[in-house]
Amino acid sequence: MPLFSDLALEASIAARSLADYVTGKGLRLGVTGLSRAGKTVFITALVHNLTRIGSLTVADSRRQMPVFRVWADGRLTRAALDAQPDDAVPRFAYEDHLAALTAGEDRHWPQSTRRISELRITLEFESKAGWRGGPSTLPIDIVDYPGEWLLDLPLLGKSYAQWSRETLEASSSAARAMLAKDWRGFLTTISAEEPADENKARKAAEIFTAYLRACREDRYSLSTLPPGRFLMPGDMEGSPALTFAPLPVAEGADLPAGSLGAMMERRYEAYRTHVVRPFFRDHFARLDRQIVLVDALAALNSGPAAVRDLETALTDILTAFRAGSSSLLSTIFRPRIDRILFAATKADHLHHTSHDRLEAILQHLTGRAIARAQGVGATVDVIALAAVRATREASVRQGRDMLDAIAGIPMAGETIGGETFDGRTEAAIFPGELPADPQSVFRGDALATPAGEAEWRFARFRPPVAMIAADGRPAPLPHIRLDRALEFLLGDKLA
Amino acid sequence: MSDAARSARRPRAFILDDGNGARAPDVEIEAQDDAYKREALASDLPPNEVAVEQAQKRGIAARALLSWGGMFWSALGGLVTLALGLWFDALIEGLYARAPALGWVGLALLAVAALALLVLATREALAVFRQKRIAAMHAAIAAARAKDDRDAARALMQQLIGLYERRPETARARAQVLDLTREIVDGRDLIDIAERGLMHPLDERVQREIAGAAKRVSVVTAISPRAILDVLFVMAQTARLIRRISEIYGGRPGFLGFLRLVKSVGAHLAITGGMAVGDSLVQQIVGHGIAARLSARLGEGVLNGLLTARVGISAMSVCRPMPFSVEKPPGVSDVAPFLLSRGKSDA
Repeated sequence: MPLFSDLALEASIAARSLADYVTGKGLRLGVTGLSRAGKTVFITALVHNLTRIGSLTVADSRRQMPVFRVWADGRLTRAALDAQPDDAVPRFAYEDHLAALTAGEDRHWPQSTRRISELRITLEFESKAGWRGGPSTLPIDIVDYPGEWLLDLPLLGKSYAQWSRETLEASSSAARAMLAKDWRGFLTTISAEEPADENKARKAAEIFTAYLRACREDRYSLSTLPPGRFLMPGDMEGSPALTFAPLPVAEGADLPAGSLGAMMERRYEAYRTHVVRPFFRDHFARLDRQIVLVDALAALNSGPAAVRDLETALTDILTAFRAGSSSLLSTIFRPRIDRILFAATKADHLHHTSHDRLEAILQHLTGRAIARAQGVGATVDVIALAAVRATREASVRQGRDMLDAIAGIPMAGETIGGETFDGRTEAAIFPGELPADPQSVFRGDALATPAGEAEWRFARFRPPVAMIAADGRPAPLPHIRLDRALEFLLGDKLA
Repeated sequence: MSDAARSARRPRAFILDDGNGARAPDVEIEAQDDAYKREALASDLPPNEVAVEQAQKRGIAARALLSWGGMFWSALGGLVTLALGLWFDALIEGLYARAPALGWVGLALLAVAALALLVLATREALAVFRQKRIAAMHAAIAAARAKDDRDAARALMQQLIGLYERRPETARARAQVLDLTREIVDGRDLIDIAERGLMHPLDERVQREIAGAAKRVSVVTAISPRAILDVLFVMAQTARLIRRISEIYGGRPGFLGFLRLVKSVGAHLAITGGMAVGDSLVQQIVGHGIAARLSARLGEGVLNGLLTARVGISAMSVCRPMPFSVEKPPGVSDVAPFLLSRGKSDA
């Protein structure tokens, strides 16, 4: 059966992309990232910067995005939010997110995303590309979604038995054994062959979910935690498709009909067919450009085990995407991602002199994904990015030490060097130094490294106070290399 | 690292007061410049590089197909070819009418001429493409250097090495750059190393050529009996100089390529005319003034020499497959110091 359903999936993707091509589609920008990587903030900052270009004077606007060519040349005339192409998907709540970021004293980062949403922004610009020059427009479609759901994409190619085996293996690793103790204890009391029992299935799913949630806590910051809907069920809370859990099942073995194992397997398959597949088909199968946002700092805070876990998660997820140089035929039937940008987000949490090292670590983290994308002809770049910059840089002299620090208002509850913050005091923070050798952050089994032993600790900061522009509305927030990211992702379409 | 040094690099926080000083008495805090603005500015191309790229676009890298001028010449060329065809047809028929053997000879000659023409045309086209490729390489290297793009730099350095593959004297520099493309070197550094190793000897040869041409022009102008003679000589020398420079840098301009090259050199002179004030124009005029006071003809000679040197320098910037970055772009005083220092020593 899988062959047939794969073919059906391919056919429906081709049909949709043909329909898109005929009706005139926008550029589909895939903003990819696990939960808390900063997708919502990135999209909000991008839209805010672009739509507010009219409120800036020419000199100011050059300063805001010097590397984004179409902007710096003064050729971008207007950008506005437009009606989105898919009527069935909610609109990205841009205004709410922006209000949260720029709310004066109450400003805060947007809440974590709970459901999927979409947005279309249309850029009006003067093209200078030879005989096609003159006024042009470029619609860009962006989708925002809970990053947890992304974890499901690797499940597309895995059977229930395979997934069970991998999950069990991962849970027995040194880093996770502690967290998985309850769940593994419960597993010894049930078996796949016993008769199906709804209560047992629900219990198994509950304990399994609790284990996944524990892994995700800030202290541990583990990443490879499929299935994603267990962590963020969205509108599927309590649905039978979510009441399953891995069981020790031999691959290729036939489970007796009516057994617990068979029921779990059926629900797993239903989850793949009704949840993962449509999500992939509707939002990821037809991307033109992709930015992969990675919150490497949280994993680095936790320890090498979390960093390796992040590497596994990213590598698995990125296999699902179709990279490659695009041609006319592929544009019509099977869009391919021809430019991929890997961005280490929250780059404002460390001094710019450490950015090279952060980029080196990210390059290492996504090494396999980069090699594969380049192998098929896609262009790849790696940068350290902060879509909204919450800090400024300062040098601190204490006795004989000279430290490059960052200054800002740390969020309430953050702790650094024995100091706990209340979310109001401003502080200069020296977060420690990243190692020169990127491989060294992958070595070891430490997880949830205690603050006293860590060689670095990246505190989270509150959003910066927005300047008010001449028209009384907030001016675009400062950023780090957002312009470089846009130039890489969109520059050639805006030549 | 000792324990003390390690603990000094541990994460730490310093609470700030309202005046942005630290609350702790023994800590000093100083705001730093915005590094990202500097980084963004560094990625802009310098003005003389912009001038070179504009000049290249007007000449050697121009798209000839879509301009009205190009269309005019193509159409006119087509008509002339048709007329020639008619005339040849009549000629061959006439020859056959006189004697069949003569006709065969005529036909054979025509075939040989056609073959030679084909080869010439192919060569011209190849030469134009080669120049275009060098100009494209120049722009790409400038962009890669500005962006510090390692992958692009590696690919471009491979291309650059390919350009000089048939030059035995560049063997060592080529091998060195080729080794570096396989190692972890930043894009910008790689380009700079290639410029120092590979370009520097060529730059020196070009400067010698310019100096030689300037010297010849000034001497011939000073002693030639008739004005028309030195005008012809200057033109011939300038043409030869431009061609030589292009050849040294790896171009092989044919006739069409040469025309495009001259266009680019002219455009570059026009664009940088204003910039040259800071360079050495004042010196040039001073030098000319002193020489002219000694003898009108000598003064003209010096002036012609200076102008030839300026043309040579423009040709150098336009033909070079990479922009000047670590190497300083030479001024007139670098390539033809004798024209200027003679004025000084005379005074």
